[in-house]
Amino acid sequence: MELAVLLLTLIVLLAIGVPVAFSLMTATILCFFLLDIPVVVLLQRMAAGMSVFSLMAIPFFVFAGDLMYRAGIAERLVRVADGIFGRATGGLGQVTVGASMMFGAVSGSAIASASAMGSALTPLMRERGYDRDYAANVTTTAAVVGLLIPPSHNMIIYAASAGQGISVGDLFLAGVIPGIMTGVFLMIVAWLVAKQRGYPRGVFPGWQTLLYSIVWAIPGILTAVIIMGGILSGAFTPTESSAIAVVYTIFVGAFVYRTLGFQKFMEAAKQSVKITAMVMLIISAATAFSYALAILKAPTQLAELITAITDNPILILLMMNIILLLLGTFMDMSPLIVIMTPILLPIAASAGIDPVHFGVIMMLNLGIGLVTPPIGSVLFVGSAVSGVSVEQMVKSIWPFYGALIVALLVISFFPVLSMALPTWINAG
Amino acid sequence: MNSLSKLNAAFARGLIAAAAIGLILMTLIVGWQVYGRYILNKSPDWSEQAALALMIWYVCLAAAAGIHQNFHIRIVALEEKVSGRTKSIMALIRHGVTFFCGVIMGVYGIQLVAETWVHAVPTLPFTRGMVYLVVPISGVLIALFSTELFFTDISKNKGTSI
Repeated sequence: MELAVLLLTLIVLLAIGVPVAFSLMTATILCFFLLDIPVVVLLQRMAAGMSVFSLMAIPFFVFAGDLMYRAGIAERLVRVADGIFGRATGGLGQVTVGASMMFGAVSGSAIASASAMGSALTPLMRERGYDRDYAANVTTTAAVVGLLIPPSHNMIIYAASAGQGISVGDLFLAGVIPGIMTGVFLMIVAWLVAKQRGYPRGVFPGWQTLLYSIVWAIPGILTAVIIMGGILSGAFTPTESSAIAVVYTIFVGAFVYRTLGFQKFMEAAKQSVKITAMVMLIISAATAFSYALAILKAPTQLAELITAITDNPILILLMMNIILLLLGTFMDMSPLIVIMTPILLPIAASAGIDPVHFGVIMMLNLGIGLVTPPIGSVLFVGSAVSGVSVEQMVKSIWPFYGALIVALLVISFFPVLSMALPTWINAG
Repeated sequence: MNSLSKLNAAFARGLIAAAAIGLILMTLIVGWQVYGRYILNKSPDWSEQAALALMIWYVCLAAAAGIHQNFHIRIVALEEKVSGRTKSIMALIRHGVTFFCGVIMGVYGIQLVAETWVHAVPTLPFTRGMVYLVVPISGVLIALFSTELFFTDISKNKGTSI
């Protein structure tokens, strides 16, 4: 009964447009009233959900990503990708995926990637005769790759929600190969669709221009080296490395590229606190909601249900993927990570799935949820930036969804893709 | 826009600006922590707790401003499909729910502060209750902004017989 109230209240409030964080809070409060739990416990859980040191990396990664966007690093990455991939048929599709992968390596926010790449590449694609829906589809789905390629603040939320000392460094490393592979799958689909639609080949800008664009992009790309190098060498914690990334980006934007003035800097800070407040409030409300689910023994019930159906690890993994995909289409990524990690991780562990591998699966799975209707924040951003309605996008986006689903299945059933890099680095 | 709405809009912008300064300060604190460890060979012991306390404050203040600036993530799929009248009713319910959450944060936030008022924060000269003081403050602001939006929407829709 209480579980039904909790879930139904959440669904109704979300449907009528109450913000996610406040829907989670209200559902939890009503459940606490019914269970006779003091309401102050809600605030205790919310405060606990926010008071996690590792989560301090979130505002820094968001801030660094926004500063990079305003300093014009995205355009520089596009130029590099254009030089490398632009020659192929429908080369700008490859360029979008390639640049999104590079931007993912310095930023890690799918929304930032979709808006940065969309605003830089859509006009260029239109100029060269590409259809608007193609531009929107490639930009939107390519942004998902950034969730896998480190740094990814969603991986930090996962590590904090898992609560078993999962190393953020291992998670970051585990995302590299799956991220590149997903990018390659999207490139193949972008090429096939471009060939079918008869899009033109790009022109090679020449080695000198390519080299020049790479040199100009290096200071930006170095951010990724600082973040990953700092964490993997043990020199910095993930929070410290993300703060250093902010300081470094300010330096590069203000003194190397000279594109980041005080006004842009303050705009980036203001925009970053808005995103941080939004994400952190959702995380803290989801922590309280997750506590209510635990009191109602929902995780145990779901685990019993799944294990009653099958004890085959492959089927369990498939079922968890379907559950996450379905939930992901309706809800945003961060609350789902906070709510579903404590529920699904024990089931995954009992099926012999490594928590790091499971983290990568969850990132891609919920990332797909960000680009699928009815609710997909990155899909909405992609639609807004490219000026194509979501309905129009969905008509022709299916091949790209296909690439993401195939990547998800390959990553799920070949753990070596996720585990090879962390195992190799840790052994060394 | 009446003068109260203008005042609230300016207040919300002020909260975001204050929160942005909080983020910049937090960057400086964590940057100082790294500088201290590698350059001065002495890492400050207060930095991590101070950065966390600062983050809780600016997140709560910016979250309250988010009610006025309408930047919290919400699902608009259904809202876009319904008629103007239903849409207005949905908006009023939304403001009502956020007002309710604000009141809960205000009332029970004071209880949370009272419970933790004497719990010292390690390495800092203040208590957990002082850190959590922002919870009831933010609750009051959320209730205030929700009330304003509620009555603004009602006066906007007077002609459409809500």
